[in-house]
Amino acid sequence: MDKRERLIQKIQNIAVKTPTRTLMVPEKVEGFGSIRYRPPSCSACRKCIEACEVDALDIEGVVRLPDYIDAVIPEEGFRSKNRESLVSLLQTLNQNGETQVVSVPTGLPGYGSITWSAKKCIACNKCVEACPEDCLTLEKTYDLVSVVGDVVVPPPVKVADWEPFIICFVCWECSHAAADLAGLMHLHYPTNIRTVRVPCSGAVEPIQIMTALENGVDGVLVTGCLLSECHYGGDDPLAGNFMQADFVNFWQDMLDDIGLSGRLYIDFASAAMGIRFSEIVTEFVENIRKIGPSPVRGKLEVES
Amino acid sequence: MKKLFLCTCNKTLDKILDFSKIEKELAKTYDEIEIVDNLCVEEGLTQLAKNVTQDDCATIGACTSQIIGIPVKRKVKNEYIAFVPLREHVAWVHPEGDKSATNKAIVLLADAAVRLDHMEPTTRFQENMVERVLVIGGGIAGLKAATDLKRLKVGVTLLEPIGQNDAAYNQNSQFMGDSEDIAEHLEVLNKAFSGVERVQGTLESVDGQIGSYEVTWKDFKNVLSTQDFGAVIIATGNHQYLPDISKKCRYGKSDRVVTLEDLLQKSSKKKSTILVVTDPDVQMHQVEGTHLLRSSTILARSGNTVFVTHSDIKTEDEDLYRDARESGVIFLRGSVKQVKGHDSGLTCRIDNTLESMVRDIAFDTLAVFQMVGPTAGTANLAAVLGVELDDRGFIKTRYSKMKPVHTTRRGIFVAGGAKNPMSLSKALISAQNAVLEAFKTVRSPLQRSGWIPVIDDETCDVCKACVEACPNDALRVFDERIVHIPVHCEFCGICVSSCPTRAIEFQAHSKESWFARIETIARTHKKLEKNKPFTLVYACSECANASIDQAGFANKTYPTGTYVLQFPCAGMVSPIEILKGLVEGAERVIVVHCPPSGCHHQSGDHHSEMVVSLTKDMLREIGQDPERVRVTYMMAATPEKMQKEVGLHG
Repeated sequence: MDKRERLIQKIQNIAVKTPTRTLMVPEKVEGFGSIRYRPPSCSACRKCIEACEVDALDIEGVVRLPDYIDAVIPEEGFRSKNRESLVSLLQTLNQNGETQVVSVPTGLPGYGSITWSAKKCIACNKCVEACPEDCLTLEKTYDLVSVVGDVVVPPPVKVADWEPFIICFVCWECSHAAADLAGLMHLHYPTNIRTVRVPCSGAVEPIQIMTALENGVDGVLVTGCLLSECHYGGDDPLAGNFMQADFVNFWQDMLDDIGLSGRLYIDFASAAMGIRFSEIVTEFVENIRKIGPSPVRGKLEVES
Repeated sequence: MKKLFLCTCNKTLDKILDFSKIEKELAKTYDEIEIVDNLCVEEGLTQLAKNVTQDDCATIGACTSQIIGIPVKRKVKNEYIAFVPLREHVAWVHPEGDKSATNKAIVLLADAAVRLDHMEPTTRFQENMVERVLVIGGGIAGLKAATDLKRLKVGVTLLEPIGQNDAAYNQNSQFMGDSEDIAEHLEVLNKAFSGVERVQGTLESVDGQIGSYEVTWKDFKNVLSTQDFGAVIIATGNHQYLPDISKKCRYGKSDRVVTLEDLLQKSSKKKSTILVVTDPDVQMHQVEGTHLLRSSTILARSGNTVFVTHSDIKTEDEDLYRDARESGVIFLRGSVKQVKGHDSGLTCRIDNTLESMVRDIAFDTLAVFQMVGPTAGTANLAAVLGVELDDRGFIKTRYSKMKPVHTTRRGIFVAGGAKNPMSLSKALISAQNAVLEAFKTVRSPLQRSGWIPVIDDETCDVCKACVEACPNDALRVFDERIVHIPVHCEFCGICVSSCPTRAIEFQAHSKESWFARIETIARTHKKLEKNKPFTLVYACSECANASIDQAGFANKTYPTGTYVLQFPCAGMVSPIEILKGLVEGAERVIVVHCPPSGCHHQSGDHHSEMVVSLTKDMLREIGQDPERVRVTYMMAATPEKMQKEVGLHG
């Protein structure tokens, strides 16, 4: 199983509610997106399919007539002139409000429509670059509904003497030093967290967050250096913590939609901010305590 | 200058059509209009040749181009000539001489003027041919082909399967004719054969095109040899196999159950009762039937009592059946249901379908009649050669009536039993035919001319739809580009129909030209006939067009308002031309191709059926009546078909 497949498997595992939204993908989040396909100008040349490295695209033997009828032909026309003629002739003859897709007789070359799989796509843009007819675009949205599919809601969780269990990813530059400082200063914060040291907050991978949640962890906290002070990029917009902030935003959005709101949080503390670190931890533990144990625990119980 | 020549066909057409109205209506379309009485006679042709200079283009409104086209092309050295069959498509099918017949003539002549605007000279090309032929298979047809080619002084290589055994071959070919005849022919052929390069091996690969196929084969030591050939003749013959009924007959389990061939070889002196069993589930070829009759007669004449169960026997010679009856062979219509062996013989339960009776009859011997199928390995060979097989696994011929030795790939021919079971004499003739075709191919440089598809690399997406559509392997992908192989092209235009981008356009038949023609027809029709509905017939230039001409000859009248647009092949029609016709106001569009599997370009009939089916589906979805579009076939032998098709709706 490749990495994307594993990630999606994990997302499906932790989902406790059927998602209903198409997520917006924050600016710096790469690897997640949607391919928008405009069938009218497509010549079914399969260049996109050949370019796709993850088999996210395929061709099906249908003419997507509704798209043909709704298409607006630009002034300079399509590059594929025969498609342009076909579309405009069909539009002229159209007398019907609702049209359906039409299947192409088997063995008739030159027709077909591209299908796209949200689950497999890694938003690499290679298909868009390969398309000679300009009928594909990469959009900053994520089709969570088709990625996760239908979710069976697990029974409510009741845990006796429940204490939140929280994984905290700390970067080994500032925020780990801040945690050390909190200790040196004998600051007290709840015992519910377990820190995992990572090189940079930007190095935390989604699959790690999902693995934590999948195992019934009640919350995941990511801490990094102060924004614009990342040791790997500084104030560069692509610095580790800037990027992770956008990613966490994206994942928070996603977790909201699959019934795990408030269980992922990111904050920043410099090496001199031991007090801030203990505050971050205390606040997050309090929040988790309010929303209760992870519903994924219920799912785990059902499965076991 | 754009000129129009109208022929009165010996002062007959002007009695039906109003020539002065035609002149008046088309005065602006053509720069010069001339009426000639007999364009087809020397006088008329000379006048035409004088008046059509190199800078002119001309429409000839006379009889069908099949008739007038030939002398005109000989006399007038100008390719910009359009023909309008005023006689067969107008006067003779609308003989009432009313206004609308003249109007139809005007529409067709106006359309011809647009055709002239888009006319292009044909493309000529020449390829040199390797003067050497590869013959595959050393049986009767193969030997005959190789010896004949040698006699014609063409280089020839005979490739035989590893371990070819002439004696075994002779024995396996007995069904092809009289056994002495076969032996004699093989001897003669083998004698004449000396000096021909004869190799044993298996075919590895075949690349290239007609005139220069690069063929590689592997010999028994696994050594590869490669040689160039201008043409290839497949003469792999066929072989006999045991049909399924042999199991029911206990073949292999009892000594008394043998094949008919074995029984003939044995020539036992003891008289016995023999049942010859044929498989009722396999349709018998007439060569097989002939062999069955001949063999049973031999057995009966040597004193045996012979019964034959059969469902249907076809034969080349009715006398053989009579001979068999006279020699005492008893024919039972029906089949064997069960066979039981015991010490003194066999008891067979026979279902006699003629008498509706099931009976047990005792026999001494049971002879299973073997069927004839393609030689084992034919499928592999066909795959390497890139030729297609028919339903039974024999090599498929391009067009059984007119091209009996052409396979689906140009420059590769088939001789003898590799395409179907055949008798000795037929196999020899077939080999001669194949030799003639191969000889014609390799003897002189291939010169051809025609309108060809032209590929624009700029707009091509290399989607390979044209490559897939081309029935002749004339389009190939080379270096991420589509390349046209003119020697394989048959100028059918099926490739053009499948192109989504318009990167491939047929000379003189561009999409723009079709649009302009359809618009002109619709505009002129509406101007002359107001709201009268009209039908567009998209006819292929082979069978369909001949059939429509034939309707004229046979005076099979049909309503006016029917305009025929001649496509090189019906496979060139795409949904675009059909929809364009409807958009321009045609009540109906009828696409006409050659009879099923009789397409002159192999796949045009099937292709046009698919195109029309897709178009109809789309029309249904957008709320139009799909019955406005129809696809059918016509053939020259049925002139009333046109009458029926367009007469339905007018």
